Amino acid sequence: MSDIVLKDVSKSFGAVSVLDRVSMRIESGEFIVFLGPSGCGKSTLLRMIAGLEEVTEGEIHLGGRRVDQLPPNERGVAMVFQNYALYPHMTVRNNMSFGLQNVGTPKVEIIQRVNDAARMLEIEHLLDRKPAQLSGGQRQRVAIGRAIVRDPKAFLLDEPLSNLDAGLRVRTRLELAQLHHRIKATMIFVTHDQTEAMTLATRIVVMNNRQIEQIGTPMEVYSRPATRFVAGFVGSPAMNFVPIKSITDVGGNASISFAGQPPIHTAVPFGGLPKNNLTLGIRAEAARISQDGSGIEGVVDVVERLGERTLVYCRLPDQTTLVAEDNGVSAIQPGDAVRIALDGNVAMIFDEAGKAYHAVVQQGG
Amino acid sequence: MSAVESQSADAKAATSSARSRAIKSLDIGGLILTLITVIFAVLWAFPIYWGMVTSLKPESQVISDTVEFLPRTWSFEAYWHVMVNTMIGRWYVNSLVTSLGVTAITLVTSALTAYALSQLRFPGRTVLWFLILASFMVPLTALIVNHFILMAQLSLINTWMGVILPQLIHPVVIIVYKNFFDSVPKEYREAAKMDSASEWRIFSRIYLPMNWGVTTALSIVIFIGAWNNFLWPFLAVSRPEMMNVAVGITQVNDAFGVQYARELAGAMMAAMLVAVLYLIFQRRVTQAIMLSAGVKG
Repeated sequence: MSDIVLKDVSKSFGAVSVLDRVSMRIESGEFIVFLGPSGCGKSTLLRMIAGLEEVTEGEIHLGGRRVDQLPPNERGVAMVFQNYALYPHMTVRNNMSFGLQNVGTPKVEIIQRVNDAARMLEIEHLLDRKPAQLSGGQRQRVAIGRAIVRDPKAFLLDEPLSNLDAGLRVRTRLELAQLHHRIKATMIFVTHDQTEAMTLATRIVVMNNRQIEQIGTPMEVYSRPATRFVAGFVGSPAMNFVPIKSITDVGGNASISFAGQPPIHTAVPFGGLPKNNLTLGIRAEAARISQDGSGIEGVVDVVERLGERTLVYCRLPDQTTLVAEDNGVSAIQPGDAVRIALDGNVAMIFDEAGKAYHAVVQQGG
Repeated sequence: MSAVESQSADAKAATSSARSRAIKSLDIGGLILTLITVIFAVLWAFPIYWGMVTSLKPESQVISDTVEFLPRTWSFEAYWHVMVNTMIGRWYVNSLVTSLGVTAITLVTSALTAYALSQLRFPGRTVLWFLILASFMVPLTALIVNHFILMAQLSLINTWMGVILPQLIHPVVIIVYKNFFDSVPKEYREAAKMDSASEWRIFSRIYLPMNWGVTTALSIVIFIGAWNNFLWPFLAVSRPEMMNVAVGITQVNDAFGVQYARELAGAMMAAMLVAVLYLIFQRRVTQAIMLSAGVKG
């Protein structure tokens, strides 16, 4: 069992609070991604689980045992650092065996475990090299190898892909997913890159401003963000937010309108919605350039042609910017007047505090 | 073909004329600088040259009416005298033992102190650090009487230990080590902690090996300093068989007064080891001097 439970964990450095009563439960074998902007406390939280930062308040349990007062080496977790922290004067083999030597593992077993991990990560031919003689990707593997040989209950990875170039990052991401599938260990991965989060995670923990905004599967976080922050942070391009002028009840659901535009029928229940200062949230793929003249009006500011689709940045009459999508082959030019068809079924509404209101999930959906 | 050739010839001519122009424009400044450097080098090296030449003259030719840049007759008599009639072998051993002792103990204690100050959090750490910085301001000569009394009370006068102990105070070594330990990224320490390494293992297997360069540089400088140290070994030792080379060579005289060739032969032999060491480790020595001056090389 290597489930991790955080109970009301807080952290402050002097008077500065960096984490405020964070609670969650990570199941054994999960691949959890802490996602959030710089300074949201995600790395601090990881370091607290590792034992590299003290917990100001709250409890951390690992595999049913309270560990927040234990030193890092007694927690049974391994960490992969952002800059890998491979000891530069040691060979790859010594880097990987250092931890085992420190706890007095028999020599034969050390050799066996290092060789097994090296085979798994395909770095056998690098064992006698020093870190300076390795490429970024190879160092990354060695850092993971150093964690694997210790057979930890959980792997903690602090932005491990951020030092790799774009192509290598994609490949390593895939390998990391395969590795997790193979060894089925609990992994916690910190990143500010939402693509990494979406592709790797079994569940994403979106953090902002010292707190957890939402915990959910990648698709939950994408389709049903709990807050306006999550909606804006996850997904590219960022979700459109359009201020709602007025709202009416049409068959139990909210029908909204912007200044001087035809109404949009959403699937969000009208009951329970506050009546003022609401914002509509809609992703670019649900805001299509209309071919039949229906939809709301806008003027094109910028056109981004991505190949398989075209992103059209439109200015609405109330000066709000809205990103709409068109086909890959699109004749639209900046300055064109267009109409945008918004799919109300996947739209969501945010109140003044940023809380999201969604369509009711159908049974089994 | 010929066009290409003539083109390349043109290009060559152009570069060579450009080069000669560049040399001409540099010439005067460079020449003056070179001249100044040469003058200073000669001024600096002349006493050493003179000492060496004199030590190779027969005693009768040392004092003469004319300046003789080379001996009229080459003679190793002075060296022979020093080797046979003095205890220079014993002094060499004394110098080696005390200098190596000072070097080894200073390095070990300073590195450990610096590691503690740099990496560990303990009460009184800042006070200790300021005390070490402050001790930097006190010249050793100011403490020499205290050292003598202390060593005398401990009955360490005329012993190797008595020579070594007061020479172990090198705050600058602690400062240099601390600066280096401070600049090791903290992830290494954290990685080692995750790897179950004890403080001793982190120090001896991570921090020290990561800074081998500075250790070698410092060890050479400390060794040369201890080897050349005169004042304290001179005070701490009165029995000729316990003297080190620097003190011992002052004994190379006899009832007939100063014998320059012999004195200088002794001095040459005393300096030889350091000179050889310096030649071998030139770069490291320069680096260490820069380090102790606060310039990271």
